[in-house]
Amino acid sequence: MIQFDLLRLGKATRISIADDVRTDLELDKIVAVASNGDRLIAETWMNVLLLGETYEEDVRYRQDAVKDALAHRETVLKMYSISGEVLDRLRREVFFFRTDDPAVVVHEASRGIEIFADALEELITLLRSTPRFSSKAFSDLMESLFANIDEKFIFSAREVAKIFSFDQGIDFSVKLGKYNSLIDPILLMPKEKGSLLSKIFSVGKEYTYKLDPRDEAGAQILYDIERWVLSQVASTILKAYNHIKEFFEELRRQLSFYVGAMNLNDFFDKLGLPRTYAEFEQGRFSFENLHCLSLSISRSGKTVPYSLEIQKDGSFAVLISGANRGGKTTFIKAVGQALLLARSGLFVPAESFYIPNPGAVYTHFLREEERTLSYGKFEEEVKRFRGFVGSLKKGDFVIMDESFSTTNQLEASVVAENVVSALIDSGISVFYVTFLQDFIYKFVTHYGDKIVLLVPERLEDGTRTYRLMRGSLQPGYAMDLWKKLHNSG
Amino acid sequence: MEYESLLGKRGRRASDQVIWDLRISELLNDILGKEKDEYLGALYLEQLDEKDAAVFRLNVFQDMLRKDVYDEVVNFVEKIRECMRILELEKEAYEQHKPGLHLDAALEYIEALESFHEKLSSVKIGSEGLKHFLAYLNSIIESETFRSMKERAYEAKAAREKIKVRVKIIGDKIKVWSYDDGEDLASFIEALFARFKGSGQVEEVKYHRTAGEMSHIHAAILEGAFGFFKEEYNILRKFSEDFPSIIDEGVRDFSKEAEFYISYVKFMRRIEEKGYPFVIPRFTTDGSIKVKGFYSPLLAKIGKAIPNDIETDGEKRIFTITGMNGGGKTTFSISFGQLSYLSKLGVPVPASEAMLPFFSSIMTAFPIEEDKGEELSRLEHDVVRAWNILKSANDSSLVITNELFSTTTSEEGFQLAELFLGELNKKRAYCLYVTFIPKVASLSYVISLVAMPSREEPLRPSYKILPGSPPAEYMAIRIAAKYQLVYEKLKGMLG
Repeated sequence: MIQFDLLRLGKATRISIADDVRTDLELDKIVAVASNGDRLIAETWMNVLLLGETYEEDVRYRQDAVKDALAHRETVLKMYSISGEVLDRLRREVFFFRTDDPAVVVHEASRGIEIFADALEELITLLRSTPRFSSKAFSDLMESLFANIDEKFIFSAREVAKIFSFDQGIDFSVKLGKYNSLIDPILLMPKEKGSLLSKIFSVGKEYTYKLDPRDEAGAQILYDIERWVLSQVASTILKAYNHIKEFFEELRRQLSFYVGAMNLNDFFDKLGLPRTYAEFEQGRFSFENLHCLSLSISRSGKTVPYSLEIQKDGSFAVLISGANRGGKTTFIKAVGQALLLARSGLFVPAESFYIPNPGAVYTHFLREEERTLSYGKFEEEVKRFRGFVGSLKKGDFVIMDESFSTTNQLEASVVAENVVSALIDSGISVFYVTFLQDFIYKFVTHYGDKIVLLVPERLEDGTRTYRLMRGSLQPGYAMDLWKKLHNSG
Repeated sequence: MEYESLLGKRGRRASDQVIWDLRISELLNDILGKEKDEYLGALYLEQLDEKDAAVFRLNVFQDMLRKDVYDEVVNFVEKIRECMRILELEKEAYEQHKPGLHLDAALEYIEALESFHEKLSSVKIGSEGLKHFLAYLNSIIESETFRSMKERAYEAKAAREKIKVRVKIIGDKIKVWSYDDGEDLASFIEALFARFKGSGQVEEVKYHRTAGEMSHIHAAILEGAFGFFKEEYNILRKFSEDFPSIIDEGVRDFSKEAEFYISYVKFMRRIEEKGYPFVIPRFTTDGSIKVKGFYSPLLAKIGKAIPNDIETDGEKRIFTITGMNGGGKTTFSISFGQLSYLSKLGVPVPASEAMLPFFSSIMTAFPIEEDKGEELSRLEHDVVRAWNILKSANDSSLVITNELFSTTTSEEGFQLAELFLGELNKKRAYCLYVTFIPKVASLSYVISLVAMPSREEPLRPSYKILPGSPPAEYMAIRIAAKYQLVYEKLKGMLG
């Protein structure tokens, strides 16, 4: 049996809040570049980027395959186009206009099988002239195809298609059942013309009935019997047709991920973005010169990169606070996007990228329409958060942008403290852009070195650099200021 | 041995008035479905005259209510019908099909009789009706004719199974050979393409045949086949010639009469599924009535029936039903009327417990819709009906009236009621008297029943009809009070 798995997605599906993550992390921009207008690539990419659960070894498996595909660019593209063309031809030439008519089904399916035979032949010929793949994903595919598809198979498939062409008639055996009706029809391989057997048959021992040309009812009945006999084989041949079609669809679907990787690779080249593959290291979350990909796409150029180094076993929280328009949200988007690219096995726009594990990414961003204080909105927010709590697992990442700010600071801080403490203590890491001072103060005090506080960098003269730097708590700062002003007054 | 009817004695058609007032036709639609069988329809309109006749049927029901017995009877009747259908088909069929149809009718018949006899013998049957049929069946099965028909039928079946041919259809030609060998194309295709895994979803191509299976074309193929299997064909043909008629007349009658029981049990099951019970009624001889949890099957099928009780030791036989409007008074009286009607058919009744007299007759007097607006004539009409009822009422009659004498003053209505009920009481007849005049309930010889409001929501009915005195305060006044439309409040507001 032909078996291949270029993606190793397992049984995992998209994460529960896929739509939110897609919007919050601006995945559409990234996918648009990768797909370059190809809807299949876009769909596959969304599925892989938003994958619920995945494992380190599967990520490595995909990383190898991505590298391999970039190295065998022409072959992969050709395979992608062969599978695309065969599906196009089916759309143009095969019509199951009556799925309840076995004669139609059999005829159309066998026409399809003829088309498949051509494509399989082309595919095998292509692969035979291609240098060996190095990744397990692509070598397995090649091996399985060579083991199952050969000239003999292609010949037999074409023979089957020929038997069902219209003018051949049908041969079948039949028995007598209840009411002397005909039962158990078995469609038989036609006896070859001119064979010894068929000659013996044609001598004498044969009953022939010829329809009267005016017998229209008889012709209808004859056609009914034919369809009845064919219905015994129609499901089988339709199944064969569907399975081969599924093979091409699946092949094309899986390949589309790698074609997308080529497109993104070209984009990186164009912009001169750095490129690295994620490495896994326990107790380390760090990156160097990470760019926000969606912003680079929007700007068609490089953006201010970020670096971060956290060496800490277990979970951690990165709190980002401080003046607006300082690049805080861009930072968490960059991190979120990089995590998604990394766990997909794709390259990341950074000099280096270390993560402890390929945990899933969940987002909880304040919606523009929620920027008012109202208990109704607050309830919505809480509900939205509650919506994905059930799916969270140890090692996952939650990225929050101004969560719980639809109520006053006092209340919101209590909620935030409750929520984020629970996440950290459950082994889930958090990136949180927040202005909730009560929360930040209490939280940093309580968790100490599990927390990284980042603030926008400002030069002495007040200029914004859009970089983030480590900040620290400044308790009593306002009081000091008050006193200072008071005194100066 | 002679066949004896499974229905026992027959009755007389109920009066149109009763059928109309008690909504028997609606009930029949539920029991028999829209396409009522004429024979069964007529049977359900016959009221039995004798208690023993009702008991005879109820005993059959006692057996039929057991799932094993019921299933076997249904099965048997279906098989006999199938057999009759095949024999009808045979009359019009092509010569090549005829011996096949005849053989299958016989096979169906033989199997039906034998398995029914065997199954019925192994379960304990109590009713005279079914016991008799079992004995009758036994006499058929033991007969020489039946035995030899069976032997020959199996022989013919075996002969037919030997026939297998190879057919080729090409263009307008059919060729037939005796089958020798050949490679199954479907298996070949299956094996060839098994290397493509697929998603496991199977799309079945279902073909609905557009032509029958017995045409001149099929006959032609059979003709070809018989040419290669002459001996087998002769065995088939000879069976038909030697056993021209298959179904026994008694068996035919039984399968028709059993439908009466089957249709009713099916109806019961549908109602029971909604959580409402049926019970086999017991006929009292001391004049007492004790019916618990009876209800309207018409409401039960939509799950909305509220069960009620009715009881008397036989001393007092007149019931007055008063109380809140829309409180279920009419439903109560119709339901009890239907229950009594059904008990006179000899079928189980919609209640959890039912002990009642075998009423000699059921009489009704309900308002006549088309007379609305002609008050005087309706009052006259009521009086005439009341008198007709009094003429034929006796100590085992059941009289059900609904708002009789209501188109006059309540004082006159009361006086008429007193006269009518007094007479009925003297005759010791049973009566359900639905009225809005509370005073009627205070007559010394009546049992007063009242439609009660809901305990949780006093403005709504509970549909429970319970013994007690008519309420002193009326619901309509409480509703008015809620909107301040009572004297003091109105005065105060208008003040």
